[in-house]
Amino acid sequence: MTDEQGTSGAILVVGGGISGLTAALEAAEVGNDVFLIDRNPSFGGRVAQLNEYFPKMCPPSCGLEINYKRIKNNRKIRTYTMASVSSVSGGPGNYEVSVEVAPRYVNSNCTACGDCAAACPDEIDNEFNFGMDKCKAAYLPHEMAFPRRYVIAKDALSAEGGEAVKASCKYDAVDLDMKSETITLHVDSIVWATGWQPYAPEKMDNLNFGKSDAIVTNMMVERMAAPNGPTGGKIVIPGSDKEIESIGFVQCAGSRDETHLEYCSHICCTATFKQMNYIREQYPEAKIYVFYIDLRTPGKYDKFREKLMADENAEFIKGKVADIEVQGDGVTVIAEDAVSGAKVQQKVDLAVLATGMQPSIAESGAPAGVNLDNNGFVLSDYANGIIGAGCAKKASDVVTTTQSSTAAALKAIQVSRR
Amino acid sequence: MNVQPDLDFIKHLKGAGGDALKKCYQCATCSVRCPLSSDDNPFPRKEMIWSSWGMKDKLVADPDVYLCHNCGDCTTYCPRGAKPSEVLGAIRSYAYTMYGWPAGLAKLATSAKNLPVLIGIPVVVIFVMWLISGGMHIPSREEFGTYGYQHFFGHWEFKWYAKNIFFIVLIMASSLAIAGFSLYKGVTKMWKTMSDNADIGSAYRPSVIQFVSQFLWPSLVEIVKHNRFKECTTNTDRVRGHLPLMLAFIGLAIVTTYSLVKNDIVGLFWPAAHGPMYFFDPFKILANVSAIALLFGIYVLWVSRTKTEAAGESSRTFYDWFLIWQIAAVGVTGLGSELLRWLSLPAVGYIVYFCHLVAVMMLFLYLPYTKFAHIAYRTVAMAFEKYRDSSFGKPAVEQ
Repeated sequence: MTDEQGTSGAILVVGGGISGLTAALEAAEVGNDVFLIDRNPSFGGRVAQLNEYFPKMCPPSCGLEINYKRIKNNRKIRTYTMASVSSVSGGPGNYEVSVEVAPRYVNSNCTACGDCAAACPDEIDNEFNFGMDKCKAAYLPHEMAFPRRYVIAKDALSAEGGEAVKASCKYDAVDLDMKSETITLHVDSIVWATGWQPYAPEKMDNLNFGKSDAIVTNMMVERMAAPNGPTGGKIVIPGSDKEIESIGFVQCAGSRDETHLEYCSHICCTATFKQMNYIREQYPEAKIYVFYIDLRTPGKYDKFREKLMADENAEFIKGKVADIEVQGDGVTVIAEDAVSGAKVQQKVDLAVLATGMQPSIAESGAPAGVNLDNNGFVLSDYANGIIGAGCAKKASDVVTTTQSSTAAALKAIQVSRR
Repeated sequence: MNVQPDLDFIKHLKGAGGDALKKCYQCATCSVRCPLSSDDNPFPRKEMIWSSWGMKDKLVADPDVYLCHNCGDCTTYCPRGAKPSEVLGAIRSYAYTMYGWPAGLAKLATSAKNLPVLIGIPVVVIFVMWLISGGMHIPSREEFGTYGYQHFFGHWEFKWYAKNIFFIVLIMASSLAIAGFSLYKGVTKMWKTMSDNADIGSAYRPSVIQFVSQFLWPSLVEIVKHNRFKECTTNTDRVRGHLPLMLAFIGLAIVTTYSLVKNDIVGLFWPAAHGPMYFFDPFKILANVSAIALLFGIYVLWVSRTKTEAAGESSRTFYDWFLIWQIAAVGVTGLGSELLRWLSLPAVGYIVYFCHLVAVMMLFLYLPYTKFAHIAYRTVAMAFEKYRDSSFGKPAVEQ
């Protein structure tokens, strides 16, 4: 039976990262109609920001592109970007969801030719690169953006900027009068795949993030290491673009801490090992220091850990960094080595905070009917067709995330076939 | 290493404020956040694991346990809420009881349940002394105006040693003597174990003069200046309370000594030196300023402790509060006695003065077993730290 919106047994997937893409495709490929929404102007989520990802150290284009292709070829999936859920009513089998779609100021005429960006005089911080560089106020979210369509940050656009951007477009795609609109979706079940955000490093006042360019987060390192990143793939001190001779990894920056994220974020230790590989490729002689409480490589990554721990120029210090001193060039990370019982004050050119994963929905807030645990992770309610998937449900790596998304898709399908 | 955990010790720590001790996962944030912890021998991470393992012998002779000023910087940053500052306080309370002599009295001073006995002992002693002194009566207004409390224990004609002084010295000096002996025993035992643990041989030992000038005196200067206390970044209120309190005790000690000299040495030859001091006597001013500083200091500490307890940063323990109550009692009854003398209210005055004597005797008698013992143990630990880092602390050069 088809309803007035032309769907039957539709499923809403909130969040279009690797988890949401997987859940949407799995459900659509067995025949369900799917609405896939993302609050960002492009799908791809956090994976799109990585340089390489587990388990095979592929660049993100590898996994994401095939998923985009599957979406394009699947008529059962409707996508909305810059869209977020404002309210949910009804019950399993007949949810009514209000979705607010923010204005993109660029319509579907856009061919991504790039003329508007070239003409635009105004610049904004490039959020995709964590503010390490600037981009134009009329921009493509990133190289691999899907949908491949420009977006305009109207607030940052000057009057003449607006004129210039409009005038530059040959296809009449720029529409600065676009308004936000609310659409109503009728669905049987909802998969929450809202993903994660890096825990705000400023919240750990003792780590002094922001007080020196030499203190960065692990996600910033991913962006620097990525060929399409702000430094063209070179890991350097942001700002001065200086090469490094030493680097310190600060594990559990915010994780396993009652005052920040009380859980283990699951991925930061393996991410640090992965980033040690990036460093070794670029700086074969650099000194690497890893400060940790416990090194945890859940899953099948123990061999990976062994290989990197054999690195002769890498030192592993059992002690959490509780202070970072900023002076002149570089920074000094301070910890107590619990094995030797003495304090270690290590000067490094770059300190990397291995910040944890915070569920995005914890900050943005969940609409009524969606229950979160104390840490902000979605508590699935299968009976009511409210299903958490991926990192919205539990901090995890990509493999675990996709498995959990496939499971979520199955649970969602079951609601429409009761 | 074969560790024999002392379960009773762990239980004691948990009961004395270290209830969250087992939450520690040894990340060592505390050692880095502690402003007093040194680079070579940081604390309190190692103390946390020793506590968890019940290694009490190591802990009671660990100078770092006493060097801790309980500012709470470690507790603020502890990712597990294991409250290292509270655990170290609990270790100290255990150590004072363990080193205390006589053991029965030391044990008595550890629990609020024993408060009736703890207060009862000085009450009975002073009451009995008052009784046998024969001075037990409420004076007339006139008598009260002239002598104040100086005839509390009566008066006799033997001018070389006043009756009142005889009794006061008997009570207070004996209490102090017991306390002093107990502290001496405890501190020497601690010093010996600390030296053994730090592997300091006795090939070269400092002379008494060297000990005082190189280790003890610099420590005392540091204490008076509150250098270490001021390093604390979280609980900064405590310096504001502790500094006036300590200066008040010094001030009152000076006044007491002066009063003793004036009444009982100068007074022997110059009878006019007897009697309460004039209001504008510089020593009287010092006494009154000290009394106010004492009350102000204890008020600040009282409020600060209540605040940290309400915020869950510290737990409510008898160990911490007993000293606060004792000092508050000494201050209130002391100043109260003086005010009542000015108001010429002999009956109430004598009762309050009686309470004052009880409070002072409690403070003295229980000094080695309560939190007050830090006055000796912390000072000695600071001296030991300097001794350990000096050339005496280095192993002798093999010839």
